[in-house]
Amino acid sequence: MKLPTHGVMAVTLMFAGMLSGSPANAHHSFAMFDFNSTVSCPATVKEFRWTNPHVTLLIEASVKAGGPPELWSLELTSPGNLTRLGWTHSAFKAGDRIEIQFNPLRDGKHGGAFKEAKIVATGQVFTSSVRNANDAPSLK
Amino acid sequence: MRPCFRAEPMLAVLVNAVMLLAASAVRAEQPVLNAAPQAKDWADLARLPDWSGVWTPNISDQARRERADPLPWQPRAAAAVAKLEAAEQAGNPKGLFVNCLPESMPSWMLITHNAMEFLFTPGRVTILGEADGNRLRRIYTDGRSHPADPDPTFHGHSIGHWEGDTLVVDTIGVLPETYIAPSEAVGIPNDGDLHIVEHIHLAGPDKLQDDLEITAPHVLTRTWKTTRFLFRQRARKYDIVEGVCLQGNFSERTDAAGDSVFVPTPQTEAGNWLPPIK
Repeated sequence: MKLPTHGVMAVTLMFAGMLSGSPANAHHSFAMFDFNSTVSCPATVKEFRWTNPHVTLLIEASVKAGGPPELWSLELTSPGNLTRLGWTHSAFKAGDRIEIQFNPLRDGKHGGAFKEAKIVATGQVFTSSVRNANDAPSLK
Repeated sequence: MRPCFRAEPMLAVLVNAVMLLAASAVRAEQPVLNAAPQAKDWADLARLPDWSGVWTPNISDQARRERADPLPWQPRAAAAVAKLEAAEQAGNPKGLFVNCLPESMPSWMLITHNAMEFLFTPGRVTILGEADGNRLRRIYTDGRSHPADPDPTFHGHSIGHWEGDTLVVDTIGVLPETYIAPSEAVGIPNDGDLHIVEHIHLAGPDKLQDDLEITAPHVLTRTWKTTRFLFRQRARKYDIVEGVCLQGNFSERTDAAGDSVFVPTPQTEAGNWLPPIK
């Protein structure tokens, strides 16, 4: 997927070998997302859906250089898995200004795999890599 | 036109007698009851290994095994698998489970990324999964055998017994339409006569090992032996939460009357939920 860059948005090419397949998300494969590119830009939260099997963050962002804000749908793993990373159903609320990073759909449609978000007002950062949280015992 | 049958008095008596005999024969068959557990049955549970806590699958190992631990597919299935793998690698994964039917056996054990817990009660081990209200296995350990012709179900009919600290589980009666799936985008229907034997045991203080032997005579050339691992979690943030897969097919909205309602939201074939979203 070709995405133009501008001042606050960057597409970062990553080494494919750094990623062993898609991130941990059940229900459907995440192979439709391009994990070799990361979109980074400011955005506004429109809706936060705390639902199985995939939590969804709807954002409005100007991903195209100079373009108008557009709606994007970002998918994550399940509420259960995100709970272990410190998320709750109220992690985001409509209107929150955030700095978002996501891996876009390969086909150019307005979807992506959530990677990381920082809430501007509080500085709180949310990540979504569940493997680090799950692939070892936690006994305390 | 053939006349209606009308029993003569003597014949009616005979028919009634035969029916009464048949009814008493049915009554003579005592129903098999699930025995009420006694104090000893509950106490015996304490001698079983400690599988308490919540268990999360080793997802990295699952991913590694997609390539390192291939299934012995029959030629027709192998060709279909090759197409599915190529599609996934090209970024067009097939959404095998986006209809929200259960991943089923054995795929639940093979590819789930979600937590599960094991409940021991007299005569039974129950496995409860997360992120799908339908993920549930009842493994009978009371010595019963399989039904002669079990009703096919998503997780099949499972009987188990303990060999030392290992739970040996035998499963049949799985719906033929369910997938044997090495990944979320690659799987072939088992096509019937599926038989799964599992040896589940602790491989360390907080690591559970499930050795699976999967026999699927219509799609595999031989019994496939594979292993999956789970990690014990005791932190409360790992407590199993309710998860209903179909919830993802709906948006939470407020209707004209002011009530909170679910509104269907279309997904793509691959299971994505994309704008425009109403």
